Amino acid sequence: MDENKLKADALVVGGGIAGMQSALDLADQGYQVILVEKEPSIGGKMIMLSKVFPTLDCASCITTPKMSAVANNKNIRILSYSEIQSVQKNGSGFIANVLKKPRFVVEETCTGCRLCEYACPVDIPNPFDLNIGAIRAVRVPFSTAVPQIAVLDMDNCILCGKCARACPVDSIDFLQTEKEVEIEVDTLIIATGFETTPIDAKKEYGNGKLHNVIDGLIMERLLAPTGPYARVIRPGDGKEPESIAYVQCAGSRDETLGVPYCSRICCMYAIKQAMLIAGSLPMADITIYYMDIRTFGKGYEQFYQNAQAMGIEFVKGKVAKISEDENQNPVVRVELIDENSQIIERTHDMIVLSVGMSPKYNPSQVYGVNVDEFGFVKSPTPNLSSTKTNQPGIFATGASTGPMDIVDSINSASAAASSAASYLESVRNGK
Amino acid sequence: MTEKTNPKPEETKIGVYVCYCGGNISDVVDVEKVAEKMREHPNVTIARTDMSMCSDAGQSIVENDIKELGLTRVVIGACAPSLHEHTFRGTVARGGLNPYYFHHVGLREQDSWVHSNNPGGATEKAVRLMYAGIAKANLLKPLDMIKLKAERHALVIGGGVAGLRAAYDIAGRGINVTLIEKTPFLGGRMAQLETVFPTGNNAREDLHSLINEVRTHPLITIHTLSELVNIRGYIGNYDVQIRSQSRGVSGDNAEAALAACTQEVPDDFNYGLTKRKVVYRAYEGCFPSTPAVDWEHYDGKPIEIDGQKVIFENKKKTFDLRIGAIVIATGFQPYEPPRGDYGYDELPEVVTLPQFIRYMGLRDGNVGELTWKGHPVRDIAAIHCVGSRHLAGVHEPQPDGILNNYCSRVCCTATLHQVNELLDEYPNINVYDFYEDIRTYGLEHESYYTEASKNMVRFLRFHGDQRPEVAAAPEGDTHPVLVKGKDYLTNGLEIEVPVDLVILAVGMVPRPVDDLVDMMKIPKGDDRFLLEVHPKLRPVETPVPGIVLAGTAQSPMNIQESCNAASAAAAKVSVLLASGQVELDPFVAKVDLDKCTGTGDCIEVCEYEDAIVLETMTVEGNEVQRAVVTPANCSGCGNCVSACPHHAIDVQGWEVAHYEAMVDAITMEVEL
Amino acid sequence: MNETTTTKEPKILILATLSGGYAGADYVGQQHLNYTTNTSILPVRCPSMFSTEFYIQAFEKGIDGIIVMYSGTDSPFKGGPERTAVMVDQTYKKMGELGINIKRLKLAAICTVCKKPFLKQVNEMNKTLNEIGFVQDELADQGKDK
Repeated sequence: MDENKLKADALVVGGGIAGMQSALDLADQGYQVILVEKEPSIGGKMIMLSKVFPTLDCASCITTPKMSAVANNKNIRILSYSEIQSVQKNGSGFIANVLKKPRFVVEETCTGCRLCEYACPVDIPNPFDLNIGAIRAVRVPFSTAVPQIAVLDMDNCILCGKCARACPVDSIDFLQTEKEVEIEVDTLIIATGFETTPIDAKKEYGNGKLHNVIDGLIMERLLAPTGPYARVIRPGDGKEPESIAYVQCAGSRDETLGVPYCSRICCMYAIKQAMLIAGSLPMADITIYYMDIRTFGKGYEQFYQNAQAMGIEFVKGKVAKISEDENQNPVVRVELIDENSQIIERTHDMIVLSVGMSPKYNPSQVYGVNVDEFGFVKSPTPNLSSTKTNQPGIFATGASTGPMDIVDSINSASAAASSAASYLESVRNGK
Repeated sequence: MTEKTNPKPEETKIGVYVCYCGGNISDVVDVEKVAEKMREHPNVTIARTDMSMCSDAGQSIVENDIKELGLTRVVIGACAPSLHEHTFRGTVARGGLNPYYFHHVGLREQDSWVHSNNPGGATEKAVRLMYAGIAKANLLKPLDMIKLKAERHALVIGGGVAGLRAAYDIAGRGINVTLIEKTPFLGGRMAQLETVFPTGNNAREDLHSLINEVRTHPLITIHTLSELVNIRGYIGNYDVQIRSQSRGVSGDNAEAALAACTQEVPDDFNYGLTKRKVVYRAYEGCFPSTPAVDWEHYDGKPIEIDGQKVIFENKKKTFDLRIGAIVIATGFQPYEPPRGDYGYDELPEVVTLPQFIRYMGLRDGNVGELTWKGHPVRDIAAIHCVGSRHLAGVHEPQPDGILNNYCSRVCCTATLHQVNELLDEYPNINVYDFYEDIRTYGLEHESYYTEASKNMVRFLRFHGDQRPEVAAAPEGDTHPVLVKGKDYLTNGLEIEVPVDLVILAVGMVPRPVDDLVDMMKIPKGDDRFLLEVHPKLRPVETPVPGIVLAGTAQSPMNIQESCNAASAAAAKVSVLLASGQVELDPFVAKVDLDKCTGTGDCIEVCEYEDAIVLETMTVEGNEVQRAVVTPANCSGCGNCVSACPHHAIDVQGWEVAHYEAMVDAITMEVEL
Repeated sequence: MNETTTTKEPKILILATLSGGYAGADYVGQQHLNYTTNTSILPVRCPSMFSTEFYIQAFEKGIDGIIVMYSGTDSPFKGGPERTAVMVDQTYKKMGELGINIKRLKLAAICTVCKKPFLKQVNEMNKTLNEIGFVQDELADQGKDK
């Protein structure tokens, strides 16, 4: 088939945990699926995480086999480093125009041997580690990436040619250009996921300028065994923190940030990280400042109770302000809700802002689907069939429809696959 | 299967892989040390470690090693086999080996995670278990999966919203569905609601849009008043027996019977707030619309219909079906507090939230003033977490010995949704909301909390170990009931709130389904909800192949979450049955005809029909009797194995010799 | 182990069903509960496959205690638990004849979420073995008697 024109039963947009699950559930029923991912590797946010609640499985232990299952499924084709430009109706189906970004590496021949990476003299901040660690300008994005194909960052490349000389299969192509691919499908699933709310949005929390204040996702990378240092240190000076505090709802339930909703995951990830830190830094004091602890899922309340039993301190209070002292230690000013709004100040070595979820992408222009004021895809039937959109044949799943944790995303993804399969069958039966 | 291609144990070339499991194993076990010890084994061609063996990169290493080093067996030490054994069989197959030339050793759940207090011992145990795995791998034989026709027909148990959703989605995939519901009417708990968050839609209107789709679908058959009474078989081929009761009345006399019936019982649809006849409809507009006799309560006395005395008769019938897969959507019931808890069942002014929702739904139109038992309602207390988030050592376990330590997930939003609706209608009522944490977690749920605050709901925060108490007010007080407690929003101030009505935001408990659990051999969790295999890898599947979960039978969920889980269950059923064929592990008995002498001892102990029989065959010119297994009928239990006096029968993949070799390895002294 | 320990530990073999004890052991792991490392858990479909000979051989090889964690009434196999009980009973008789303390063999129904019963069985077996000592000492004593 002409590589610029592809045809399949279903197109899944987004290769995070939700998109992968939708793709697998359709492919395992025998449908042909194309999975489009804008990053060089599938895996989404989940592959960046350390361990996941409430089982404390390592995140890769769940994600990487799913990535592998996607890669090895004969009914799934992955288009990585590609973005949907536009989607047109085509009878009961759709035609999607996809832009395949140049990797400057020939996908068909690259073996992922990494010799280019070892040869490259340019170190850049590692996007996979949220720019805290370093990585080469040409590299396999991360060790468990799928596909295992290198990508070259042209913005930072000095065109020294060392990678091209090191490549044993002559796969470096400095002249590669972007490619347009047209995909014809009968149904489409939006699984574009989320971004974390910005760490620098709130003036009271230092606008992201305080040295030892990080967000929850960076803490995930610090805790991950694949992370930049494989241990928890202060970003300001590399010191091992002895006192760490979490500020909950630092990007949720806050009208002033334009995020009035609850992001659902932050209570659990903060508690989980606190437990992991308690494991790796047994002497550290860990405090969680919260308004309400929302551990609502299966096994979550028990998890919370375990954390309390481990000695993690839960303080019900609103953090009004974070500043820092002369040693760059963050100082929190807390209004204690439980104590008659008494105000206290406490100094910690490190603060983690439990940032929330936002879509940061508005799919309404591309897909013609209705979205809410925040950009989450809005279902006309949120209770009975939450993955349906106002466009027949287009479904939305996972965090593109609202904040949700991994367990809920996976069920939502399977639900989208179910609805898409029903749609495919009804189209075929001419209903 | 040719035994000849099977190398002798001493000739195998084994690849051994020990997984870091992203730290889960390597935090405790010295993984490199384990690999080092493996290299000392004469059959081990290569021993490697990896951060995550199950990743595509990790799997590729195994594939390449098989191809390049000519490995004949693979042993991987990683997480529990139940999670990734299947994954790695696929890896081994892609490498070109028979997938059953693989053995999986669990080093996480049964080693690093349980021996974090003894890293040295855990490493030694890992070495021991891996050596045992190698010992078994040496003896493995190539096997082929058993392919069987699968019935493209699913059984859905439960006619609530989750069961309906699952049934409709499975049928949408072109698979037949039989939906059984225990009660006479579809709809389940959702029918008992009035409006639903976050849409504010009428619950029964939403529900009936789904019921109409289900009842008009050509591939779905509905049986109300029906229960599963027996099940046999396995994925793709379950033989189920269903028992149905009759409605007692039919088209001709139904309306007349309903009109003529005089026996009344508490109406369970209204949680006992009202009474209904024993010939009844759950609610106006219910489906099926034909009334039914409440057999449990019917006193058996004749009812006079059109001048004739009629005694209703429950004509039970059973029927059999062949089913490929089963969805369990048996739902929940509201927690019922024990008598006296928060004044429940003692003070007439104490109701549960589900009762209150029914009460609001039962009112005739818009009344100027809200009353309860004839008295005007001016002040209401809502108490959260009744029957949820119980603490060990503080709260009593339930009568079954289980502590309700979980959060029921929906009660916070449901309570505030109800309170806001109430205040829209009766803005002068004061509401006092006693809570520990407000968990309005959904995208549009937080607005119920902010709206309640705007509506001047007074929030009072208790600590989980000091919950409010409800007592009758002294004679002559302004209000009939006092709610006492400490409010931690005001520094633990002792408070006493006089109210006219107390609403208990009760949690969820699963419907009692022990009969199904026993019949199907599916597990329940610590919280008595049905248990999935893994919350992320297989979130709606039970360990029994072909049996999946939908909705609140599994855990507390709201309607959206129940429907998503139900659709997810439908997706799994569709994956299983779409092709009309299932593949089963070939772990069935196999007879070694060289050793069998036809004693028939194996048949004696076998409980499976036609699994093993004696057949006449000719051996060296003599007619002899030999045991022969029919794989499709064999469960692979191994009863026959210990019965055979000649060791002539074994379960493929699980042979006695494997265990003997593993015991040898375990008893070997290991020095690190 | 890094420090050379001269104290030999008794060896416990646990034969655990996939539908019962083995899943239960995984559950204990998921809860991160601790027990002793002298345990080797082998998955079995149904222990009805093991004859008396198998158990006796295991003791002779130096296994000091065996816990058969079967599925009891939760077993997916018809007649499997009953057959298992019969085989264990027969083995007790044989153990008596050979002078092997019958406390070394224990049959216990363990469900997939039975974390407490699982730990109880392991702890009790350890206690028993600490009291009655190693199987090989017992077998050696028997040899002297004859």
